Amino acid sequence: MKRILLLRGAELIVFAFLATIPMLVVNPYALGLLTLLAIYGILLIGLDVTVGYLGQVNLGHVAFLGLGAYAAGLAVTRFGLGMGPALLAAMAVGLVLGGLLALPALRLDGPQFALATLSFAALSTTALNELEGVTGGAQGLSLIRPPVFGHVMTPPLFYWLCMALLAVVWMLMRNLLASQWGRAFEALRDSPIATDAMGVGTYRHKVAAFSLGSGLGGLAGGLYAFNFQYLQPQSYTYDLMIILLLGVVLGGRKSLWGAFVGASVIVLLPNLLSNRHLFQIFSGLGFAMALAAGVRGLVKKTTRPFQALAPVAAMGILVVGGLVVENTENWRKAIFALMLFSVVVGLPEGLMGFLSIFLAKLFRVPHAPLPEPSDLGTVLPSRAADGTPLLILDDLKRHFGGVKAVDGISMTIRSGAIHGLIGPNGSGKSTLVNVISGLYPPTSGRVQLRGSTLPSGSLFRVAQAGVARTFQNLQLFGELTAIENIMVALKGVYRSPLPLVLLGLGRPEERRAQSDALALLDLIGLKDQARTKAKDLTYGAQRFLEIARALARKPDLLILDEPAAGLAHPDVIQQIEIIRRVHQRGISIILIEHHMDVVSELCDTVTVLDGGRIIAEGTPEEVKRHPKVVEAYLGQPIQPELSGDASPLPA
Amino acid sequence: MLKQTAFGTLVLAALGLHAGDTVKIALTGPYSGGSAPMGTSTRDGSKLAIAEINAAGGIQVGAKRMKIEIIERDDEAKNERGALIAQELAAMGDLSGVIGTVNTGVCMAGDKHLQEQGITKIICPAAGSASMTQWANKPDKPGVKENSIFRFAAYDGIQAAMVVEEAINRKFKKVAVVFDSTNYGVSGRDDMLDQIKKQGNKLEVVAQEKFNIGDKDMTAQLLRAKSVGAEAILIWAIGPELAAVSNGAAKIGMKSSLIGGWTLSMSNYIDNAGKNGNGTLMPQTFIEEPITPKAKAFIDGFHKAYKVDRMPSAVAAAQGYDAVYIFAAAVKQAGSTDTHKIKEALEDLKEPVKGVIATWNHPYTKWDPADVATHEAFRREQVVMGMVQDGRVVFGNESDKARLIKEATGLTPAKAKTKAKAKTK
Amino acid sequence: MNASIIGQMAVSGALMGLVYALIAYGFQLTYATSKSINFGQGELVMVSAFFSLTLTNLGLPYWAMIPGGLLFGALMGLVVERAGVRLALEQRSEGWILLTIIIGLFFFSAAENIWGRDDRPFPTPISADPIRVLGVDITRLEISVAVGVLGIMGLIELFKRRTLLGKAFEAVSADRDAAELMGISATRTVMLSYGLSGAVAALAGILVSPITTVGPTMASALILKAFSVAVVAGLDSGFGVVLIGMFLGALESLSSFYLGSGWREAPGLVLLILALAVRPTGVFGKAVIRKV
Repeated sequence: MKRILLLRGAELIVFAFLATIPMLVVNPYALGLLTLLAIYGILLIGLDVTVGYLGQVNLGHVAFLGLGAYAAGLAVTRFGLGMGPALLAAMAVGLVLGGLLALPALRLDGPQFALATLSFAALSTTALNELEGVTGGAQGLSLIRPPVFGHVMTPPLFYWLCMALLAVVWMLMRNLLASQWGRAFEALRDSPIATDAMGVGTYRHKVAAFSLGSGLGGLAGGLYAFNFQYLQPQSYTYDLMIILLLGVVLGGRKSLWGAFVGASVIVLLPNLLSNRHLFQIFSGLGFAMALAAGVRGLVKKTTRPFQALAPVAAMGILVVGGLVVENTENWRKAIFALMLFSVVVGLPEGLMGFLSIFLAKLFRVPHAPLPEPSDLGTVLPSRAADGTPLLILDDLKRHFGGVKAVDGISMTIRSGAIHGLIGPNGSGKSTLVNVISGLYPPTSGRVQLRGSTLPSGSLFRVAQAGVARTFQNLQLFGELTAIENIMVALKGVYRSPLPLVLLGLGRPEERRAQSDALALLDLIGLKDQARTKAKDLTYGAQRFLEIARALARKPDLLILDEPAAGLAHPDVIQQIEIIRRVHQRGISIILIEHHMDVVSELCDTVTVLDGGRIIAEGTPEEVKRHPKVVEAYLGQPIQPELSGDASPLPA
Repeated sequence: MLKQTAFGTLVLAALGLHAGDTVKIALTGPYSGGSAPMGTSTRDGSKLAIAEINAAGGIQVGAKRMKIEIIERDDEAKNERGALIAQELAAMGDLSGVIGTVNTGVCMAGDKHLQEQGITKIICPAAGSASMTQWANKPDKPGVKENSIFRFAAYDGIQAAMVVEEAINRKFKKVAVVFDSTNYGVSGRDDMLDQIKKQGNKLEVVAQEKFNIGDKDMTAQLLRAKSVGAEAILIWAIGPELAAVSNGAAKIGMKSSLIGGWTLSMSNYIDNAGKNGNGTLMPQTFIEEPITPKAKAFIDGFHKAYKVDRMPSAVAAAQGYDAVYIFAAAVKQAGSTDTHKIKEALEDLKEPVKGVIATWNHPYTKWDPADVATHEAFRREQVVMGMVQDGRVVFGNESDKARLIKEATGLTPAKAKTKAKAKTK
Repeated sequence: MNASIIGQMAVSGALMGLVYALIAYGFQLTYATSKSINFGQGELVMVSAFFSLTLTNLGLPYWAMIPGGLLFGALMGLVVERAGVRLALEQRSEGWILLTIIIGLFFFSAAENIWGRDDRPFPTPISADPIRVLGVDITRLEISVAVGVLGIMGLIELFKRRTLLGKAFEAVSADRDAAELMGISATRTVMLSYGLSGAVAALAGILVSPITTVGPTMASALILKAFSVAVVAGLDSGFGVVLIGMFLGALESLSSFYLGSGWREAPGLVLLILALAVRPTGVFGKAVIRKV
């Protein structure tokens, strides 16, 4: 509890302090800057949803600021609405247009996503500029703050409104991001494929995240409109977007505090740098800090020479420049650039990323203890293994151009079985499970689960139907902890609707999810490493974790794609033990494996593939002696590499 | 959070810095980015005047002689920056006044903070009509009673009237109106269309074409104008894109001449249009020709101080220069550095101010929300038609030149205010 | 409306499009080796153009100035690589996005203070007088842009295919890890790609400056379009950028004519979003199959 108290305490103190400023300071300039800081805080929290949590470079956020501002402005000037409804309208515009943009942008990532959002921003500027009849075009739109409940919105009142909204947004977002939604956003960034395969649904979450971030952009836009009371389409362009992006990364991604600190830097720094005395103080301080950090990093060998020296050099240029250059106002942009350069190079995790490590060391706050694990029986109820047909493949084919990776496979997997799938490299095993699990649509043929047709071509819908899988090349959510990896996939725990989650009423569910996830971690022997980030686990532990995560889906059928690949011998033994335990709970398993001893140890039935076709089927012993199998394994491998693990498949 | 409070303390410390025996004047404008040539020219013109005044010992304020202290702020032509700078200046407490601003949008976003505190500002050289009309009476709302915002620039109303007049005088019938998509360009278009109507619809607007900042290929716009038979291009735009219009017209063999706002005299237009720019006409308040001793001294002084052989924008520089002298005269007359008293002095300047553009005789009068001209310094007769010829701006009309030389030698009184007002309204 | 007017617009639009294509090609070069692009490429175009202008003002003849400008561009490309990209790539972070933006900001401010804020003409011996080809007015200057763009792209492609260094470049582009195993230094190849990209940016600056003038903001509009061209064509598509660039340029010109000049960019932007939604890796990009 101590941790929570400290965190909440810090938030409370900061907001209380900010709230008292108008009583202490009468300087309207300081108040103006702080008002803008609150607005940008909301804006950057929204941007952080896509940039931080989804991990995408979003260049369209500034458009939502503009559209929100115009929505609010027009609501007031054209429709005579009050401030409250105008702000709601601004937010709604962001939510809706954000959702719409997410539809085409959904399939994209990296530079393509950046460009799609950038184009949207350019389009919206054009529209605001050209629709002169509505927006006033380039000549701008003047508006006044309508009174709220009969009170004229003086600067202090407006400041309080902005701060209050920032606090509300802060709380709601904190609740949301700490919930299943936030985890899903992060999971999406680390591995969209696994997110789909765990039945979370990339589509829904991406749209939701983008729409939410844009909605906050719209809200910030509404406040922006009432703050400046004069809008022009040219204000919301690429230049400003770049500054916003810098703010998020400088402050530290995936952090509300980071967004706030980033907003402070981009709002305050350029405006304060105009003052020559402040500039000299900042550059001096910056140089001292860079020097201290650089020397420390070099001596302790924690940073590379470039990382240690570049900020020192940049700040050094500033200090010297400050003495030599006559008119620093002329060089304002260069000064800003040098300061940002030092921070980005020296602190790649952003200011808050750095501070949080520092503070964590300082206070050594323990995490809240985890609840007791649930009973495995409730998490993973035993089911009857009656030997009836569970999964039926009927003449399944998947061709890539002229390559027949899977070429007419019919087989049956019985309930309660561990069904081995083996074959030389390129025999089509991986392609087959990729077709079953929905990654690739089949070229022809059918897959039936318990008598009904399994959806094809959608990892998400197959996962929803009760099939879970692991991946040959690990697809864990590296930035999430072990327990969170499982919680993302947990089926049937999260029922609260979004509004309750936003209000922080999803906590009981969260405890229950933790208990359930712990039970599964216990099953694979990783209960003690629940709080370790997945990327920091040992390779073996990562393999086990993938199985636990798949089990969180409470699947009817579990597909294990080479679960022992690359494991050291002791880990192989443990892996076998884990698979046994899972099997004991009545879960049917398809096991793809190269280790013949693992297959012999575990499987009841084994199917052997070669060249995309079945060449043998039977018990492990029968199969091992089958002449075609011997030939396939010992004869000259003539097929091209096709298993999908080493090289990209031909188009 | 520590950082946060540190920032706050520093702001306060910085704001409370030295109050002393100086007249504090803030110079603002875009000193970087696309509008910077105008912003820096204005600033440098102003600084030249300030340096001259300080070298002569400063301004006589009551019993003391005080030097001028400059506070310089770059608004980057961004409304948001402009608004914050205005807030900062408004909060300073001991500021005597503000001179500057190029972009009408920045005036719209920022000046209200100054006006609320009654800080005297001379807008220079932003010419868009809206920056003054925002204070005047409107159909739906009355204007402000007291106004501390003045303008020292040939505002678009005057300029548009001259442009339309020139086109009519040159016997054009069909014209294309071309403008950029900024506030300046669009409001210029409105002023020109308005003037065409006012001057009896003698011109037929056959095409209205727009371009964006940064566009370099104007072929489509010009072809459209050409295909409907435009004889002249009336143009309103802020930047180097103007040259692209001239060059594009030459490329497609369009012989129509360009007539437009004063920005056509900026070096970035003249240089880049080269010989395609010859014959371009624009209203000018100052032409970089040493026709009077005062003009010669100013031009030489500018070239020497800033190590250039030509001003990026002579008009902006000259206006920045004269604005400082007018402001200084107001400080002297007020006998105080108090911005409110300076405002009152400005509204009733007793002594004529000898500037490089003209001799300013009572440039402003008491603010009347029904008549923005009370806070506008320029009248029709201070503006002349300039013409581009072989890389320089020359007088488009020799009689203007003769008149100005005559005025400078003091043979005729500077102006008759009431007559001028009737002409421009 | 006759065909010659449409032709006129399509041609002058497409010629502008070739400049987009050249800058887009600079993006492709660095993306191929390092999966990173310089978001400050526009500033590189600008400072190189200013530097070339300075060379000209010092009395260097046009043809002698070009190599100097290219060399400067390459050097600046290397500066970007060293200061902004290398560390981020080593740490496998996306810091390069911000750092390249920041370095661009610095270049911008430095250029404003060194060369002034005004737009200036760029002298060239090539005539800007129109000549008539098939009923379309076109200037020699525009033809020189086309020749220059296609020339340098052809040269670099030849270099990549015919020389040992060029083959190393291709190897790193195809598979960085495998190339390293073969003893090819990926770091050096990335440097090479940034150097080439800088030289390409410089040439774009030299070619386009006589038409657009030289000024600190000269490339800010160009660069967004070049980025669009690169991504729509596919960041790995080589000559695809030429087609897409010309198409986009011509489309802008035509939509400006038919829809009104304010809407000039709108059809291009809508097409762009749609094209990406249909072919995420670009029109000429290689399709990637999701694999696990």
